[in-house]
Formats: sequence, structure tokens, C-alpha cells
Amino acid sequence: MIDAIKLEWLKVRNYRVFWILMGMYLLALTVIAAGGVFFLEWIKSLGTDFNGIDPTIIPIYDFPDIWQNMTYLGSFAKILLAFVVIISVNNDVTYNTLRQNIIDGISKRRYLLGKLMFIIALATISTLYLFFTGMITGSIYSHVWEARFIFDKLEFLAAYFFDIVVYCSLAFLLSLVIKKAGFVIVLLFLYTLMFEPIVGAILTNAPIFRDTIWSELVAFFPIQALNNLITVPFGRYIFMEIQDHIPLKTIAIAAGWLLIYLTIIITILTKRDMK
Amino acid sequence: MATILAINNLTKKFGRLTAVNQLSLTIESGQIYGILGPNGSGKTTTLGMILDVVAPASGDYHWFENTPNEEARKKIGSILESPGFYPYLTAVQNLRITAHIKQCGTDRINEALKQVNLFDRKDDKFKTYSLGMKQRLSIAAALLSNPPVLILDEPTNGLDPEGIAEVRELITQVAQQGKTIIMASHLLDEVQKVCTHFCVLRKGIKIHEGLVKDTLEEINKVEISADFDQEQLYNILYDFEGSEDVSTNGSGLLVTLKPGFNSREINQHCFTNGVTLKRLSTQTNTLEKEFLKILKEHD
Repeated sequence: MIDAIKLEWLKVRNYRVFWILMGMYLLALTVIAAGGVFFLEWIKSLGTDFNGIDPTIIPIYDFPDIWQNMTYLGSFAKILLAFVVIISVNNDVTYNTLRQNIIDGISKRRYLLGKLMFIIALATISTLYLFFTGMITGSIYSHVWEARFIFDKLEFLAAYFFDIVVYCSLAFLLSLVIKKAGFVIVLLFLYTLMFEPIVGAILTNAPIFRDTIWSELVAFFPIQALNNLITVPFGRYIFMEIQDHIPLKTIAIAAGWLLIYLTIIITILTKRDMK
Repeated sequence: MATILAINNLTKKFGRLTAVNQLSLTIESGQIYGILGPNGSGKTTTLGMILDVVAPASGDYHWFENTPNEEARKKIGSILESPGFYPYLTAVQNLRITAHIKQCGTDRINEALKQVNLFDRKDDKFKTYSLGMKQRLSIAAALLSNPPVLILDEPTNGLDPEGIAEVRELITQVAQQGKTIIMASHLLDEVQKVCTHFCVLRKGIKIHEGLVKDTLEEINKVEISADFDQEQLYNILYDFEGSEDVSTNGSGLLVTLKPGFNSREINQHCFTNGVTLKRLSTQTNTLEKEFLKILKEHD
């Protein structure tokens, strides 16, 4: 385990692109997850109000709601983290170093394990970072400051971690199948933010699909399965009912996808000829 | 003698093409084994399979009498046509990765870089290296763990004469340490100079296997010319008891000797028959000739 992750560390430790991407990611995560107050100020300056409620008094950073709010927003930044994985795998493919690593003496399973550990390390960094950002933001804005509120609903951080691991494994798989990094990045970006949401919206809302088995399928889509782990939490501020827990079913579907990705990856590694 | 590598009926297909067909080989410790063959005969594919980067269609292979493959590969230094290094890392940083995988410690990195004359450039990024330097770094990587077995695929491809000489020197050095070397090459001269054993592949099939020494010892043809009537000379040579066959060869004659006879006896025979030879040259067998003969036999 330690050896597997050390190999990946040796590959990125002196790689400037990696550090730049990580910096960009953490910056984006900070802005997206902790910049809510500025966003609300901006909405207010536009003159928008919610039935006479001043947007800036919406307690989005109150414990424990902060955890769902921040992990929901933070998970949008995961695509940048996926780029790190894409570039890391793509380097191994284009520079022939995947082949070289194997020739030098690691098994293909070990290679897979190394990349998986790399992904887990990225997810851990991101989750811890979000936790500390949440603690700091909460200490500034939260109206409550008691341990039983602060440490409630931490399962959203676990879901956030899991979300990143599964999503980055998809990125790993795609970069093995499609050898051009730029193309994988564009494809993953479009698929995540456009293709699947559009197909999902059609299946859910179009009259011919609505209330049929087709609309049920949407929950099983690879991106939707992850989005369903942490759903939009902001409805609660206009007194709508929200999903304020992580349903077992969504965890099972996401875990199913993870298993599928890893199985395809190991199959490709075993069957493909590396020349 | 310990068996280093045993290959049993290894087969690889690319679509309809059978690149390697039912190949079986055994390589013993201390051998310098050359895999010969024209381009596209399956040499590189075979090396790819025994290094686990090309998936065989059928058959199997065993390293060091059943050591698990990835453990075995840690004890093998490989120099292949396209070495894989990270262009954004320096030579030292790249070799750290090799050392980590081979579990051999990083203390030999400087020594290995000195050995291949790259020590001055050790902190420069791989992408700034010339082709020859890249090849030399891959030699350093192969020697880093001081492995008992070395695999070379067309080791001198793309190198300048100096580089070729260096690689040959290195192979000889390594061989003297009693290491086993497996090399694929289409340069026969190269194999003849360094190998002890060889096999010939053609269209993925092993058509010959033997000792380089035995092949080179079959010297049995003598070229002869004299200021003498060609026809009479022909008859004189034909009467020689050691002649197996006589044929015309340009302005001279070519005599194939029976085993046990040599050029000295033929000279003697001619002289007693009143012919003074102008030219008498023993044809030395080269691997190249033997190789072409083998290929022809299997056409």
C-alpha cells in the first residue's frame, strides 16, 4: 500500500503541472464552498429578495447545515481534481512509463492499486481541506457553536469523499480508453455538465417518458448516481422538503459504478498490448 | 545449470496474423542468447510477452524456475527500443522511480550514471537529452539494480558508431560477470560478436536453434585460381580425394571439401600435379551466410 502510493508520489512530486492544478483546485474549492456570503451579497445588490427576506441573513453557514451546503457546492469543483487524475494516467500512457513500470517489476494490479491510492489521497486532501474550511467559515458565520451541532451531519463529508473517489475512477478509466488527454478532459466536462443532465432532464420531464421506467433509469446514470449522494440543500431556506441524509440506495448505485470502473480498468490493463 | 527462462508453446495473434507461433525456448544461466530474425519475425513481440506487456494468446513462460513474474522482473534489466521515462523529471528523479520499483535502494544511482557518462547531466530534465543520452539513461536504469539477467531489444538501434561500440563493450563486460543476456537483433554481425547461443525466428516460428560457435566452425569451401587452363584445373581438383564438389566461381573455381580436409592438402595436391596456385582463399563461414541459408531452407 505504502509502496504503491510512494510510486505515484515520486511521479508528481517534481511535476509543476500537478502543483498548479492542485492549487487551482483548492482555490476553486475555497471560492465555491466558502464564498457563499459574497454570493448572497451580490444577489442582494441585484435587488432580488425572497418574499421580503434579506438574502444575506440566510444561515447557509450554520452548523450542522453547513456540511451539506459546502459539500454540495464543493463537489462541483471535483472536475478539476479529475483533470489531475487524467493527466497523471495520460502521462503514463503517452510517455510509455506504464509499460516501463510493468517491465521494471510491478504487476498490473499493483499499478491499479497505486492509481487508486493516488485518487484516495486526492479525495482525502480535498475532504480534510473542506472540513477545515468549513470549521473556519462556520466559526465566522455560524449562529451556533456547540459540539453537538458542529459534529452533526459529518456523513456528508464521507459522501463527498466517496463522490470524488468514484468520479476520479471514471476519469482514470476514460484516460486509459482514450489516449488523448485534451479529448478526455473535454468529453468528461461536457458529459458531466451537459450530456447526462440534458438526457436526464428529458427522461424525467418529457411527457412520453415521465412516470415510465425510463425516468426511473436516470438515478442509475453514472453522474446522476453521484449527484444523488448530496442533493441541492437550499430548498430548506424556502421551507421546501429536502433530502437531508444520504440514502443507502444511492450509495449502493455509486459503489456499483466504482466496481464497474475498476473491473473494466483491470480488464484493459490485462488484455491490452503495450507497445 | 539453473534455468533462467522456460518458454512453452507461446503464441500471439494480431487479428489474422500469427506473430509468434508455438514458440518454445529454454535459456540457461550464463548464456548470451541471441534471437535473430528479419524485421517482423516476432522478436519484439516475444520479448514483450515474457515481460508481461503483451498478452499471449496461449502458452506460458516461467522465470527462474517459477518465481512470480513481477518478482522475476525486478531481477531483470531491460533495454528496449523505446525507453519510458518522464520527460519533466531529471535523470536522477527518473532513476529514483526505477529504484523504487526494483526495490534496490537509491545509493547506486550516481554510480550507474557515471557508468554511462551521464553524471554531468544528472540534474537535467530527460526531455533535454539527445537520442543517444536517452538510450544511455535506459542502460543506467537497466544496470541500476545490478540484475543477474539483461534483456536487450535491438540495443544499438539509432546509436552512432561510438554509441554502438559502447553498448557492445558493455554487453561483453556484463557477460564476463557471468550474467545471462537475452537479446533480439537483426544485426547478425552483432550477434556473432557477442552471443553464445542463438535461434532464428521467421514469421513467428523458430526455424533454427544452436551454438554460435558450432555454426561458425563449418568452414569447408575454398576459392582457387591459377594461371592455368580452367578445364584442366577443374579435372585436377575433381580428382582430389577430398573434393566433394567443384564449381566455377567467376574467374576461379570453388571447391567444397569433405569433412576432415583443409586448404593445405588441396595446395599440396595441386602442386604435385604441376599447378602453382595464384590464389587460395578459405571462405570463413559467417552467421550472415548461415542465417540466409537457414532462411532459404525454410522458404
